[in-house]
Amino acid sequence: MIKEKKWFPVIYMFLVTALLSSIVIGFTQFTSNRVEANRKLAFEKAVLAVLPGLSDEKEKATGLQLHLRFAEKVNEPDDYSAGAYTLIGSGKIIAYALPISGRGFWAPIKGIIGIEADRKTITAIAFYQQNETPGLGAEITKPEFRDQFKGKVMRMGEKLLSFERPGTKLDKNSVHALTGATQTSTRLETIINDALKKWQQQLGDGLDRN
Amino acid sequence: MNGRIMQSAKQKVIVEGLWHNNPVFRQVLGICSTLAVTNLVLNTVVMCVALIFTLSLSAASVSVLRKLTPRNIRMMVETLIIAFYVIIVDVLLKAYWPEMSSNLGPYVGLIITNCIVMGRCEAYGNSNPPSLAFLDGLFNALGYSFVLLIIATFREVLGMGTFLGFSVPYFSGPNWDKWIVMVMPPGAFFMLAVVTWIFRSVQSRKEQS
Repeated sequence: MIKEKKWFPVIYMFLVTALLSSIVIGFTQFTSNRVEANRKLAFEKAVLAVLPGLSDEKEKATGLQLHLRFAEKVNEPDDYSAGAYTLIGSGKIIAYALPISGRGFWAPIKGIIGIEADRKTITAIAFYQQNETPGLGAEITKPEFRDQFKGKVMRMGEKLLSFERPGTKLDKNSVHALTGATQTSTRLETIINDALKKWQQQLGDGLDRN
Repeated sequence: MNGRIMQSAKQKVIVEGLWHNNPVFRQVLGICSTLAVTNLVLNTVVMCVALIFTLSLSAASVSVLRKLTPRNIRMMVETLIIAFYVIIVDVLLKAYWPEMSSNLGPYVGLIITNCIVMGRCEAYGNSNPPSLAFLDGLFNALGYSFVLLIIATFREVLGMGTFLGFSVPYFSGPNWDKWIVMVMPPGAFFMLAVVTWIFRSVQSRKEQS
C-alpha cells in the first residue's frame, strides 16, 4: 500500500503544505490592496481630524469620501513646513498637521498633531497607530483625552507642553496625564515634545535660509 | 455508528466541552489568551469568535485527514492546519476590521499556540469522524468563550464602569471608585482564580450529591 512506503510522509507533508499555503497566499493577495488602503486611510483620517474644519466626530463619512477630501484639501509636506502637512486657504497656511511617532509602552505610538498658523497653538491631536493597554494607555485615542489639547499653547523652554497629574490645576501649556497609565503618559509627553521641538528648529532653519 | 449511539456521543461531547471537561476551569488550557484579552468585553468577543472558527474547523479538518495522515508526522500536519485557519482570521481582521486587529495585537496569531486547539485535535479529532470532531471543537471553544466573557464582564464593569464601551449606571458614577487593577494584568489573575474556584466548587458539590 502507498501509505507504507518510506517516502509517503514526505510527499504527504509537501502536498498538504503546498495546498494550504497556496490558499493562504491567494487570500492574502486578494486582500492586500484592502489592507494597504486601510493603513493609508487610518493615517489620512488622523490628518483630517487635526486640521480645522475637515472632519466631524459625528459625521459618518465613508473611507472613499475621506480619502478624496484628503487628496483635495491637504497639501503634502514641503521645505517650508518642515515635514508637516498643511491646510491652505486663500494663499495662506491655515494650519499644520505634524506626524509624530516614538516608543509607547508596548509598541510604537504614531499620531498627528495639529498646529495653527501661529505655529504655537495646538488645534488637535489624533493617533493612527498604537498598541497600549486597552482601557488604560489606549485611552489616548479617546476624545476625553485628545480634546484637552485643543487651544493649548507651546511654551518657550525645555517642555513645550507638559502632562500634569490628573486632578491638578492646568494652565494653557499643560494637559492631564492618564490615570493608571503613567508609562504611556510619560512616553507620549516625550514623543510630543521631541517632535514639536525638532519641528520648530527645522522651521527656524528654514526661515534663516530665506 | 447507528443513530442512537451517535446521538448520545453528540450529547456527551457537548456536556464535556461546556462543563465537565471545560478547557479553562477544568483543564486549565488557553490561559495565556484568557489573561491577555479579557479586559474589554468587545476584544474578548472577537477573540472568542476567532477561536470558535479556528478550533471547530481545524478539528474537523484533522479528522477528515485522519486516515491518510501518517502517525509520525501528524503533529506537524495539525499545526499546519491550525496555522492555516488562524492566518485566514488574521488577514480577514486586518482587511475588514483594522481597528480590532490592532486592538488584539499579536493575540490572534497566538491562537496557533493555544493549547486548547492542539489538545482537541490530538485528543479527539484524530480518532473520531469529522462531524463529531467539529462538534467537539465547537463546544470546547464555546466552553472557553463563556468563561472568558464572564471574566471580561467583571473586569470591564469593575475596572472601567463600562460594558462593551457603554456606561453602566452605578459603576460609572462618582460613588464607585474604579478598581483600576481589574483592567491591568493582575486583575486577570484574580478574576480567573475566583471563576475557577466557584465553578470547581459547584462541580464537586454536584458530584458528591
